[in-house]
Amino acid sequence: MQTETVTGTATDELNRELELRVAERTQELAVAVRELEAFAYSVSHDLRTPLRALDGFSQALLEDYGDQLDETGLDYLRRIRAGSQRMSVLIDDMLRLSRVSRSEMQLEPLDLAGIARDVIAELTAGDAGRGVTFVVTETAPATGDARLLRIALFNLLENACKFTRRTDSPRVEFGMKEKNGQMMYFVADNGAGFDMAHAERLFGAFQRLHRADEFEGTGIGLATVQRIVRRHGGGILAESTPGDGARFHFTLSGGNLT
Amino acid sequence: MSGVLLIEDNPDDVELTLRAFRKNNIANDIVIARDGQEALDALFGDGAFGPASGELPSLLLLDLNLPRVSGLEVLRRIRGDQRTRLLPVVILTSSDEEQDLIEGYSLGANSYVRKPVDFAEFAEGIRVLGLYWLVLNRAPPPVKA
Repeated sequence: MQTETVTGTATDELNRELELRVAERTQELAVAVRELEAFAYSVSHDLRTPLRALDGFSQALLEDYGDQLDETGLDYLRRIRAGSQRMSVLIDDMLRLSRVSRSEMQLEPLDLAGIARDVIAELTAGDAGRGVTFVVTETAPATGDARLLRIALFNLLENACKFTRRTDSPRVEFGMKEKNGQMMYFVADNGAGFDMAHAERLFGAFQRLHRADEFEGTGIGLATVQRIVRRHGGGILAESTPGDGARFHFTLSGGNLT
Repeated sequence: MSGVLLIEDNPDDVELTLRAFRKNNIANDIVIARDGQEALDALFGDGAFGPASGELPSLLLLDLNLPRVSGLEVLRRIRGDQRTRLLPVVILTSSDEEQDLIEGYSLGANSYVRKPVDFAEFAEGIRVLGLYWLVLNRAPPPVKA
């Protein structure tokens, strides 16, 4: 009986300690999330204001004093404007990425093929999807956050359109198929592709595998997709051959994919 | 009644907004308040649109991020006063945060416009704003004493 009591007390003690630690970590997490929200707000407001001054006053110089400048001077001013506008795009993309991490997930039953078709309709209505052949195959019903998954599919499908822009018969496909022994969703295109040697940079924020003059972009799209599928408990992997298109496979459960 | 009250603390944004108005030949008198307290003085104290002046602005352009008294607090005071509660208020801010949108509209703002970084876009926005709020829109009648 002596031993039982000792064991009982030790277990209670351990449980209490663990509970305390969980409470502490939860508190730390809550603080970190609040700091992230404050940071995102600061980025959205504080960084854009001086940017607007850069853009506005360089434009004012061009308009009001352009005739007093030579071609080089005018070129310098245009570069300042272009730089500030680019920075604005980067800031907005960063904000969008941080919002993906901050927002609460609202899980519901959904049909990914349906969401894909919706996104394709939007891309076709705009410039991005012009002339592209889209193929969507049915997928099994899934559970997830509809808003976040729409963003993920939009980024993947828009990328596919972008990198098939120079292809003769651009073709983008969405569906579900078996890979590495499990069922995965995929987005495949027959566009420019990328060099697999640099594949580990593919999902890094702001990391790009193409030059700005080859294909425009900020490199946030795939980082966002990865964050979204990871929040669902799944993962994403990419494969490609330069000139032979790219294929992105992702899951919404079952852990990370290498 | 045709003045505009621009409530903006950033001197660059003030200059750019005035420039945008000029470029678009919007000739209304623009009074500038450089923080929340100056805005309240202008409307409720001995400022350009105070009770003694007999004047009210046709349009208020309100930045949210102001020192001393916040933009939302200024809005709350405007909507809380019998003399000023009907005045058209357009929030003109850098913030795209949903919380600010919700609070702004909840407190009774008439419109919420995000200031773009690109000046051409900004000038075009001011042009459209000016055309709508100062020409097309009918301002509320002055409150009878």
